[in-house]
Amino acid sequence: MLDIIIRNATQRKVRTGLTITGIALGIFALVVMGAMSENFNQTFEKSMSLTSESIRVFPEIGMFGGGLTTGKVAEVKRVPGVRDAYGLIMTSFEEGHGSMGGKQVMGVPPEKSKLAVNPVKLQSGRFLQPGDKYLTVVGTSIAGEFDLQVGSKIEIHDKNFTVVGILEYTGSFFDSVATIPLETAQDLYNFDNSISYIFAIAQDGVDEDLLAKRIEFSVKGTSTISPSELREQASQSLLIFSVITISSALLAAIIGGLSVMNTMLMSVIERTREFGILKAMGAETKDILLMTLGEAAIMGVAGGLFGIGLGSALTYALNSWLLTKGIILFLITPRLIVVAMLFATLIGMVSGLYPAYRAAKMSPMEALRHG
Amino acid sequence: MDDSIILEVEGLSKTYMQGKIPVYALRSVSLSVKKGEMVAIMGPSGSGKSTLMALIGCLEKATSGKIVIDGVDVTSVPDRRLPRIRREKLGFVFQHYNLLTALSAIGNVELAMRFSNVSKRERIERAESLLGKLGLGDRLKHKPTELSGGEQQRVSIARAIANRPAIVLADEPTGEVDSKTRDAIIGIFESLRARGQTVIIVTHDQYVADHCDRVIRIVDGGIADGGEGV
Repeated sequence: MLDIIIRNATQRKVRTGLTITGIALGIFALVVMGAMSENFNQTFEKSMSLTSESIRVFPEIGMFGGGLTTGKVAEVKRVPGVRDAYGLIMTSFEEGHGSMGGKQVMGVPPEKSKLAVNPVKLQSGRFLQPGDKYLTVVGTSIAGEFDLQVGSKIEIHDKNFTVVGILEYTGSFFDSVATIPLETAQDLYNFDNSISYIFAIAQDGVDEDLLAKRIEFSVKGTSTISPSELREQASQSLLIFSVITISSALLAAIIGGLSVMNTMLMSVIERTREFGILKAMGAETKDILLMTLGEAAIMGVAGGLFGIGLGSALTYALNSWLLTKGIILFLITPRLIVVAMLFATLIGMVSGLYPAYRAAKMSPMEALRHG
Repeated sequence: MDDSIILEVEGLSKTYMQGKIPVYALRSVSLSVKKGEMVAIMGPSGSGKSTLMALIGCLEKATSGKIVIDGVDVTSVPDRRLPRIRREKLGFVFQHYNLLTALSAIGNVELAMRFSNVSKRERIERAESLLGKLGLGDRLKHKPTELSGGEQQRVSIARAIANRPAIVLADEPTGEVDSKTRDAIIGIFESLRARGQTVIIVTHDQYVADHCDRVIRIVDGGIADGGEGV
């Protein structure tokens, strides 16, 4: 039966080709958007798993509005249940870019530079130490982009820094972070004694949600995000990307599905007499259904393969180009490929259902009289 | 010729609706055909002979009456079982050949056996043998468009008998061929009859009818002559 199905699909090459192209474009969109979503998912998940153990303390008016000074760190430390706390500055590596996404500069007290990225280990070199000034520990993306090794120089905000350590690859935002001493960062960016936020670490056995509320209550002018709240916020952000993926998937379904349905309806009408002949020869309803649905599924599979191929090629090319800027935007996962392939096949089959039903239900004599 | 009845039709009627007006295509037709008999069905255009063929061939449902093929009352069989009856009991030869243009001669004959779950090897062997016997041994791989009308009709006959049906139904099989090809086709049907195969031919051609054992004449949807077997 497969040979007949393939023969039918290849009999009208241009039309079949156009239909496959329609599905391929839909799946291409799904793969590209999905790869972007997968990358964000993975980065978020890894970043969360690496940093979600600390309570974040922000100024009440917002993270970038100022109002939080190093003096507040001591106040946070005094809150019962807090084991340790330190302030840090987080700002964009490149001038004129927002601090979200892309490369970041993180100013931390040198003695906390290991704790701030815990449990990420060093690939080479050392962490910052008290007394360090224009020294930096960089993530693998930054090291790759600027071809850095321990001892190399890197310019941050018009100042030369010496690389003393390179972090191991994590797949998280730490790969794109250059850690410098907090005081150096404050000087460099004219922050005086301001900080972006404070990380507070709870003592063992202390409920982090309750401790976060206690910090807010005890230290005036602060708001907090506990690890569980952070996870929730991250999930909501991820949901946006999921919606984008689902939207592109629906678009793919509509474009590809209508294309297959149109082709199959035309094909069924053109082959009405052929179905009559097959029925006269004793073909069962299931044979006709299998033939028609099989043809639609083959177009779906072919469209899926082309779409996945095109999407993978584009995301690979874009990733290679973006890597020179220290960014990885797309991630093709086995899950994404399986979903895209199943989706393409399903589009083909669902869209082929109605034409197949029409073909299968035709009376043999009615079909033979056709054309 | 065997004396056993292979086909029995009793009180068969078919009414179509043209809008709200009923059209009586067949009116209470009864006939019987013996195993190994070669029967011609004749009649003017619109008399109902093709409708009778379609009903005997289980391609359409009768309005009333009974058709028994090889002991099976096909009018009381559920629709889902009709394909099996068409495969096992019937073979069709059409005026316009109705070959699948994308398939070769052997592909068309072999296709008929696919639905009967015949193994691929046997399908190929049987199709080659049939086409060889019908003088098409050197045309096996040719597509219908590369064959003459007579050759296409011989492929169509090979396809009809590939499943060794009880009855071969031929609707105007010589309608589109020259006299030489017509003789060849009649010769094939005669050889089938000689092997005990029942053949029912709808024809306008008296020359074809003269080679049959019996002629059933249909006029205005009813049997005018020859309904009962000899």
